Amino acid sequence: MSIKLEKVVQKFYESLDEGKMMGRKCSACGNVEFPPVYACNKCGNYETEWYEISGKAKVHSIVLPAALSSKPEYKKLGKYAYGEVELEEGTRLNAVIRGISKKNRAELTAKLPVDCHASIFEREGGFKTVVFDLDE
Amino acid sequence: MSALGKYSRSVSIIGVGCTPFMYTVDNPETDGLTEGEMFGYAALTAMEDAGVNPRDVDFYFHGQASPLNGSNYLTPNVQIANWFGMKGKGSIHHSEACCTGYLAIEQAVNAVASGKYNCVLTGAVEFGDSTPSPADNIETPKHPYKRDKMTMDKFLRTTSWLYDRTYTRSLMAGQELIYDDAAEWYVRTRGITAEQMNDTINWMCINNRRNASVNPLAIERKTYEELAKEQGMTLDEYMNSPFNPRMGDFLRAGGVELKCDGAAACIVCATEEIGRIAKNLKHKPIEVLAIGSAACEATTPHFEVRATEEAVRQAYEATGLTGDDLDLFYANDFIITSHLISAEIAGYLPYGEGWKYICEGRTAWDGDKPINTNGGRTSFGHAHAASGLADMYEACRQMWGECGEHQVKKLPKTTMLRGYGGAQNVAAVLIRTLDK
Ligand SMILES: [Zn+2]
Repeated sequence: MSIKLEKVVQKFYESLDEGKMMGRKCSACGNVEFPPVYACNKCGNYETEWYEISGKAKVHSIVLPAALSSKPEYKKLGKYAYGEVELEEGTRLNAVIRGISKKNRAELTAKLPVDCHASIFEREGGFKTVVFDLDE
Repeated sequence: MSALGKYSRSVSIIGVGCTPFMYTVDNPETDGLTEGEMFGYAALTAMEDAGVNPRDVDFYFHGQASPLNGSNYLTPNVQIANWFGMKGKGSIHHSEACCTGYLAIEQAVNAVASGKYNCVLTGAVEFGDSTPSPADNIETPKHPYKRDKMTMDKFLRTTSWLYDRTYTRSLMAGQELIYDDAAEWYVRTRGITAEQMNDTINWMCINNRRNASVNPLAIERKTYEELAKEQGMTLDEYMNSPFNPRMGDFLRAGGVELKCDGAAACIVCATEEIGRIAKNLKHKPIEVLAIGSAACEATTPHFEVRATEEAVRQAYEATGLTGDDLDLFYANDFIITSHLISAEIAGYLPYGEGWKYICEGRTAWDGDKPINTNGGRTSFGHAHAASGLADMYEACRQMWGECGEHQVKKLPKTTMLRGYGGAQNVAAVLIRTLDK
């Protein structure tokens, strides 16, 4: 056992610059933490190890942005929604999903969960983040 | 998942105090009120209500969501103890943002149940509508009492402090889902239509406002019926008009908090010591039965739902009570859907049927399932940290039968308060009037 004092956040963002989406996998139970943190929130193991996620995912819920829930910068996303996303590895998180609008919302909602995949998106402020795109 | 143990001894609320919720800078009579004056008023009225002297109070808890921005203080508890006769006494400041006032009860009860203190004050103050003058930035020297209105732009910039800087803000979703996630979850899991959710959201606003209209401490007291009449519209037309614009995917303007200024406080005492300490006791003690707690950071899917389910489960498992035992319910509904989903998760309203109770007006103060009898965050107002204790003030006064014009029909004995806030802490506070 070796709990390391290490820069997990910096490595996550630097990996995005290199085109890789990194989470952390529990060495005891296999649970994947994404975004990456030190410990496993499933079994409580102190340690997790770097793990590149496949990017395959499913959308479980759809909320469209509106006056209260958008920012000028988000225009760059094109058509998008917010929702619960489940990675192929089983991890669930709130995320942005591109390709959803008022037009296809009802049709997609009836089909939930729908397939999507992770993409790297450049934010203002000199860093990249992870969003999801619908598989078509 | 945590299981709650039994308190080492019984703890009761014996007195409550609350200021009106207001926009202090908008009225010459209240413009210039300070932290010591607001908190001091709530604290002293709570002590008077409990029949205790400040010298009998061992310690106090001070809640304020954003003391640096709102008061230019790092240690707000230290600055004001002398305003209510507790100079030199120990105290601690805490912030769980909008959940502060509910977890203020948790802090106080634990301190007394442990045996460390017999009687404590727990209070909170917030200036949600203004900041010390000049309002340019937190670093410049501030005037002793003058305040400037807080712009919506500044408010929104400081609310970003509620969210994880390392991942959540960057991922862009958690902080935006606060407005509509609960509505989407309810529509999808209960199988109602978006139109039915729209009506339900409107009726929560209407009911909250009806409650506030008969509560002198509430910030907004003109009913939606009156507002519609002024525009020559029916109630339904008004609620779906540009006077109540759509601001979120489901949410309309009327379903968002009225951020404002206010303070509230409670006196919490070891039940076995009440006779000795509260020499002028006025009411039956209200015992704190259990407080369930959970917190989900905003990248957690359906954070409000998940944390509420867990907090409620803890409180019910610890007490053996169920939703059927509740006579009265409060939900911190700064986003009004909280009101529906937490009452249903707590079993106060039946699964999948809560929206109908709301649309039939049964959850207004004079209905058979009253919720937020003070008017809730959209009509009573939201002085962030103080709101939970203002709800406790109202709950206790309802349970003592002291609410006059808006006293609920059946005297409530058992009440749940569902605290929520700070992206996102949740508390499920269960209280019951003691039989003498
Ligand atoms: Zn694990």
